[in-house]
Amino acid sequence: MLILSLILNGVVLGLVYTAVALGFSLVLGVSGVINFSHGIIFTFGAYFFWAMYQSIGYLPAMVLAPIFVAGIGYLVERVIIRRVYGQDPLFGLLITLGFAIAMEELIRMIFGPAAHNVDPPSFASGLLIIGDFVYSYYRLFIAGVAILMIGGTWILTEKSNFGAVVKAGMFNSEMVGALGHNLYKLRLYVMVLGSAAAGLAGILAAPIWSVKSGMGNAILMPSFLIVLMGGLGSIPGTLIGGLLVGLSISLGTLVVPRYVDIIPYLLMGVIVYFWPRGLMGQQNIIE
Amino acid sequence: MKRIWIVGLMLLGVLLVAPQAMAEEPFKIGVVSPVSGNYGDHGALERAGMEMALKDLGGKILGRTVELEVLDSESNPDAAARRARSLIEKDQVKVLVGGVSSSVGMAVGAVAEERKVLYVCTNGNSDELTSAKANHYQFRVGASMAALGRAAATYATNNLGKKWFYLTHDYSWGHSGTRWARDVMEKTGATEVGEVKVPLGTRDFSSQLLQIRNSGAEVLMITCAGFDNVALLKQLAEYKIYDKMKVVYTLMEYVDMYPLDPDERQAYAAVEVSWNENPKMEAASKKFEKMFPDAAAPVMDNGNYNGYIAIMMINEAANKAGSLDDVEKLICAMEGLEITNNLRAQPSYVSPKTHQVLSTVDIVKANPEGKGLNIWDVQKAYHASEYDMTEEENPVDVSCGAQK
Repeated sequence: MLILSLILNGVVLGLVYTAVALGFSLVLGVSGVINFSHGIIFTFGAYFFWAMYQSIGYLPAMVLAPIFVAGIGYLVERVIIRRVYGQDPLFGLLITLGFAIAMEELIRMIFGPAAHNVDPPSFASGLLIIGDFVYSYYRLFIAGVAILMIGGTWILTEKSNFGAVVKAGMFNSEMVGALGHNLYKLRLYVMVLGSAAAGLAGILAAPIWSVKSGMGNAILMPSFLIVLMGGLGSIPGTLIGGLLVGLSISLGTLVVPRYVDIIPYLLMGVIVYFWPRGLMGQQNIIE
Repeated sequence: MKRIWIVGLMLLGVLLVAPQAMAEEPFKIGVVSPVSGNYGDHGALERAGMEMALKDLGGKILGRTVELEVLDSESNPDAAARRARSLIEKDQVKVLVGGVSSSVGMAVGAVAEERKVLYVCTNGNSDELTSAKANHYQFRVGASMAALGRAAATYATNNLGKKWFYLTHDYSWGHSGTRWARDVMEKTGATEVGEVKVPLGTRDFSSQLLQIRNSGAEVLMITCAGFDNVALLKQLAEYKIYDKMKVVYTLMEYVDMYPLDPDERQAYAAVEVSWNENPKMEAASKKFEKMFPDAAAPVMDNGNYNGYIAIMMINEAANKAGSLDDVEKLICAMEGLEITNNLRAQPSYVSPKTHQVLSTVDIVKANPEGKGLNIWDVQKAYHASEYDMTEEENPVDVSCGAQK
C-alpha cells in the first residue's frame, strides 16, 4: 500500500511540475527566451492569493490572482523580454534572472521576510484513508486542477487557430510573420498565458509550502529539466517529463532518499543523450 | 617669512587634528551573514540582535565608534569564505561575526584561522564547529547539537515514546542533531525504526511523510531548519502525522513555527531560548519588537539573542583586554568570560578549551491554544553544560594556554 501511495504521490507531483513547466516551455518555444522570471511569477501568484483569499474566499481568489499575475506577465513581456527577441538566449536568461532577483527583494520589502500561512480549502482538507492507503485530499484537488490546466492548454494549442499559429511560431517564427500574423502579439499572448498558469501553480503550492519570497526558486530548475526532457513546446512531452520527475522523486525516496535530487538530472542526461531534442521535441526556433 | 608662518600654522593644524581624526575612525566588525538563501530570515534576526547590542552600548566599544560591515553569505560556504576574505583584505577587519548555517560557520572559521582574525560564529549549531573544526580564532555562540539533541532526546525517551524515526537535513548540522539523539536512544533502550535524510532545499516531504506514517514509530525525531522546515511543518499537519506519533525537533526556531495555524502547532522541540522565560526577557523582547517592527518574528528568537551575545562578548573581552585591535589579546580575554548582559535568564559562559558559549536550553511544547505570541510552553529548562560534549567526547583544546 505504501508503494501505491508513493506512485500516486509521484503522479500528483508530476502533474504539478507539468503545470508549472507548461508556461516555461511555451514561452521558450515561441519566443526563444529562457524565462528565468517564471519562478518569481509563480511566487506572485501565491502572494496575490494569500493577500485576497481570506477576504474574498478561496475560489474567487483562485480566479482573480492568476489574472493579476497575467498582468505582470504582460508587463514583463512588454518592458523586458521584448528587448531580447532574436538575440542570444543567454541575454534573455540574464535579464529575466536579474528581474526575478529584484522582484524577490521587492516582495520581501512589501510583504516582509516571514513566511505566510495559507490554509487548504475546507472542501479539500483532511486525508483519504483506505486501510493502509493514505493520501491527502488537497493533493488530489491540486492534481485535478493541474489536469484541467494541462488539458485546457493542450486543447488551446492543438484544437484552435491560435494554437496552430503558436505551434508554427515554434518552428519558424519568420514564416509566421511573413504570413501576416503579428509575431509580437503572439509572443505577448503566450507570455500572458504562461504567467497565468505559473501563478495558478503558485496558488496550488501555497497551502503546502507556505508563502515566502524565495519559494519560486525551487520550481525553476525542475521546470527547465522537464522542458529539456519532454521537448521544447510539446505539451505531451512536458507531461511525460513532469511525470518522470515526479515519479522519480517520489519512488526515489524509498530507495535512495539522500540522492533523490540527483535522479531527475541523471534521467535528463540519459534522455538528452539519446534524444537531443527531448522525448517529443522537434526542430525549433532556438536551433 | 609670511609663507613660513602659513606653512607652520597648517602643520600645527594637521598635528592637532590628525590624532582626533584617527581616534574617531570607526572600528569595523565584519558581518558575514545570510541575506539570501535558505537562511535569509535567520540572518536578518542575528543582524537585528547585533544592532540591538550596539545600540545598548551606545554604538561604542572602548570609547570607539563601532560599525557593522555586512556582506551576504548567501547561505553558501563558498560565498561566505569569499566575503570573509573580502572583509579582511578590503576593509581591514580584525573581527568577524555571523553564521547561521554550520557549513558557513566552518568556511568563515577556516578563513579566520588562515588570516589570524577573531571570528564569533553566531548561529551554527553543528558539533564540528567546536570539535573537529574548532580553531584558536573561532568562537561559537549557538548551543551545540550535543546540548540540544541530547536534551530533546532525553525528554522524548522519558516522556514520549521508545520507537523512533529520524528525519534529518542531509548536511553537517542535521547529522549532528540525529547523532546525539541516537546517542541518547542507544543508552536508554529506545529503538530506531528508520531514518530519511533529506537534501537542503527540499520543499515537498510528502513521500517521506507517507513512509514515516506507515513506520509504526512513536516518536519522529526531526533535525531540519529554514524554509524547508516551514514547508515540513505544514506537511506534518497535512498528513496528520501528529495523530500517529509525537514529533520532536532537536532544534526549532520561533520564526519557523510562527507562521503556522494554531492547530498545526503540535511539535515538541529543543530551543536555545524562549523570549517569555521571565518578565525581564519579555520586556527585552518588547523593546526588540519596537526597534524592528518588520522582523520575521515579532519576538526575540535564537538568532537575535546570539547576535546580541556575540557583540556583548566582543565588548566585554575588549574591556578586559584593554584593546579592540589586538586579536590575540581579545581571544584570551574572551576565554572563560561570563556574559551577564545577554538578555537571558542565566549568564552565558565561554568555555576556554572549545570556545563554545554555554547558555540555557529549553524544551518547549507547541501550544495550539496559545494566544498571540505564545506559540509554545516551556516544559523544562536545562543549562547547556549538562548535555554538551564532555572532555572525553571532545578532547579539543584551542585555548590560549594550549597555544603556548
